[in-house]
Amino acid sequence: MALFGILLLTTACSSSSDSRLDGRAAEIYGDECASDTKKTVTIYSGRTEYLIGPILEAFACETGIDVRVRWGNSTDLAVLIAEEGTATEADVFLSRSPGPVGFLEGKNLLGSINEEVLAQVSEENQASSGAWIGFSGRKRVLVHNIDLVPEKDLPKSVFDLTDSRYRGRVALPATNGSFEDWFTVFRDTHGNATATQWLKDMVENDAEYYPNNRAIVEATGRGEIEMGLVNHYYNYQEKIAEGMAHRAENHDFGSDDIGSLLIITAATILDTAEDKEASNRLISYLLSEGAQTYFTERTFEYPLGGGVSPNPVLPPLTALEIGSVNFDSLGGGFEDTERIIQGSGILND
Amino acid sequence: MESSTTDSGRPRRRAPWHLKITAGAVGLLFAFPASYLLWRNATGSTGESRAEVLERTLGPLWRTIRLAVLVGITTAVLGTLLAWLTTRTELPARRLWRVLLPLPLVYPTFVGAAAFIRTLNPGGLLADLVAKIGIHETPQLRGLLGAWLVLTLFTYPYVYLPVAARLRNLPASLEENSRLLGSSGWSTFQRIVLPQAASAISAGTLLVVLYTISDFGAVQLMRYDTLTRAVWTTRLNNQPLSFALAAVLLVLAILIVGIERFASHRMTAPARAESSRTLLVPLGKWRPFALAATTGVVVLGLAVPAASLADWAIEGIRRDFGGGRELFIDRHDVLGPAWNTAWVSIVTAAIAVAAVLPVAFLVGRYRSRVGSLSNALVTSTFAMPGLLIALAMFFWTLRSSWAAEHLRGTMLVLVFAYTVRFGAQALGAATVAVSAVPLRLHDASRTLGAKRFRRLATVDLPLMAPGLLAGGGLVLLSTMKELPISLLVAPFDFPTLSTKIFHSFEDAFVAEAGILALVLVTLSAILTWLLIVRRADHLD
Repeated sequence: MALFGILLLTTACSSSSDSRLDGRAAEIYGDECASDTKKTVTIYSGRTEYLIGPILEAFACETGIDVRVRWGNSTDLAVLIAEEGTATEADVFLSRSPGPVGFLEGKNLLGSINEEVLAQVSEENQASSGAWIGFSGRKRVLVHNIDLVPEKDLPKSVFDLTDSRYRGRVALPATNGSFEDWFTVFRDTHGNATATQWLKDMVENDAEYYPNNRAIVEATGRGEIEMGLVNHYYNYQEKIAEGMAHRAENHDFGSDDIGSLLIITAATILDTAEDKEASNRLISYLLSEGAQTYFTERTFEYPLGGGVSPNPVLPPLTALEIGSVNFDSLGGGFEDTERIIQGSGILND
Repeated sequence: MESSTTDSGRPRRRAPWHLKITAGAVGLLFAFPASYLLWRNATGSTGESRAEVLERTLGPLWRTIRLAVLVGITTAVLGTLLAWLTTRTELPARRLWRVLLPLPLVYPTFVGAAAFIRTLNPGGLLADLVAKIGIHETPQLRGLLGAWLVLTLFTYPYVYLPVAARLRNLPASLEENSRLLGSSGWSTFQRIVLPQAASAISAGTLLVVLYTISDFGAVQLMRYDTLTRAVWTTRLNNQPLSFALAAVLLVLAILIVGIERFASHRMTAPARAESSRTLLVPLGKWRPFALAATTGVVVLGLAVPAASLADWAIEGIRRDFGGGRELFIDRHDVLGPAWNTAWVSIVTAAIAVAAVLPVAFLVGRYRSRVGSLSNALVTSTFAMPGLLIALAMFFWTLRSSWAAEHLRGTMLVLVFAYTVRFGAQALGAATVAVSAVPLRLHDASRTLGAKRFRRLATVDLPLMAPGLLAGGGLVLLSTMKELPISLLVAPFDFPTLSTKIFHSFEDAFVAEAGILALVLVTLSAILTWLLIVRRADHLD
């Protein structure tokens, strides 16, 4: 049976040995593939296949470096890498938010990214230690049902949401990784007391807990809940998938409100990576013009490098970016965030 | 060898040493996850005080117990009733129901529960439908009620399959005699059928309860904060607490397994299996009600989630053809993973049944401490979240550099991990099957001098076949939808339907998720029919 599996794999792979790519990968790299270098980069990817698979395919074709991917949830993969420790097979870890990367940095498992690769993005979007780098961005927004929430009702700031006008109308994805990361930055920017009080007030204002961004966007589109704090990106996918039946739009808090923070997706090289050169090349490729264009055109994310401008349908970028926060100075930042959220009672409504 | 029969009808003989050794070895293999968890708890410490840990444990623990008890009760009733209706009565279209009824088990809860919510909750498909007849309020499913409903509908097959298998080879003579003696249908059911099926009901309900404890997808989407959810939400930012909560979960599972063993020992000994024709009870005036109940379960458990999935899928295909965004999957993205899913699940099911057989024989036929211990290990492991089993696989393979190099990321470890995760499902059904083989048959063949393996092949296995098929079927369906192990433990580049669904659903590519999930359900239906229903029918 194992033999069977191997046979299957070889037949599955043989189609990609054509000298040119097809499908979405060809949008990124359309020329002849380079000859095989016999090098392999192993990636643990918390970004899903649809969003990043074509870029990895293009990378393998253009450079001749093979790519192996273990897909999964970013948090699960970070926990797995920590479990494997120095024996991990991962050379590169791609996370959908900075938390899991920060966790691995805390375990001293990360190496450092080359200077010239770091130079491809602005300083706000990388770790001061050089251990990880942002390669696309997702903005925090307020998704809302357009039939239930008239434009004049929309708040100017997340701080407005504790007002009794919004009682029972707002959903929070309180246990979601990107919400936890956002809240960690919130604490860092406005101080622990302010952030904790805000969350407490939200709970008292009957904010509804939802398990994740996707569930909130979907429920908002149906009108089950009126609005919710989510990453901007999901509403574009839902609108494409459901068409006019999906009755939700994003609201951007704008200016420098903490509610419109840009959360980056992060790439990192493990300290134990066998081929650091190839790993750096991969990360550099994620920041190339072709890949960054793909991120913003096809997956509606904010580009961070390659001189690419954001897709015009996205709300404008603001001054606040998560990379500007020094995670090192936060110490047990994420752990405390988990405790504060737990203690707020949002989960027990 | 001396053989005496106790008052409960259960034989008390000394187990042969080789059986004890094999069963013990199986138990040991299933102990990998539990020992990993012990190790993590022994070597880590939380930042919280004991009081804080206790506080964070009690709420989720209480919710977990409440949910497990509720789901256990409803699935026991529902599963038994459906099994009886489809095997012992003149319910119309029995073969159709036999293919359809096990299928809700195959929905991965993370997408099944989401589809369920989208069909039934406010603003969903049902709301659109009833709005046309002037109803504008639909209830919102969430919390305990939502989790209970969705888990009942997705897990009753754990009871249905083994009970149906048990009822199929229940000799008709028992019921006939009872009816000849003037008992009504209901009292026959109560006095004859129920006691005979009791151990299967109990074994099935145990699986439901353990599954409910381990489930993450449904409770997460229904926002009901159970232990598994607490383990999950703390796994990154407070790992020691996460492991401590997982240990509580395991202890709870072991307690439940103990209670079930104790209770099932006191049940009427079945020991009455015969491959013979079955008696079909005429339903009379109850026929429409029975049909409505069966249809209702299939509609809620199978069609309600399928409605949203189909809606997503059709919208996506329409868009693809209509020049909108093309689908992110093509034929190859469906066929390859479907093939992977099918063969790895069939292999796992066969291996799981074979692996637990020694334990089943030891527990079903003898009293042995090794048997009880192995049984507890195999069964309670089913309550452990898949992520922990995946981590345990890595932990143990990395203890030696040889294993790290030759075992990590191989099909061998993947199938082993699946087997450890789902072996309990095969064991429950197999134990019921073993104890249903009449000992007098066994003794007769022994007297005639039949060798052990010949006895196994000619006496035991044919009689046990329906039970083993049911157990294998459960493992098959569960493996087909398994996610965390399929993502983390599998070899690189081994996509299955469930991992493809994960990719689609995680980032709201719902059309792709809908198509793939429908393929998964269809594939399960085909395999259930080919491998379980058709074979079970042959055995009649």
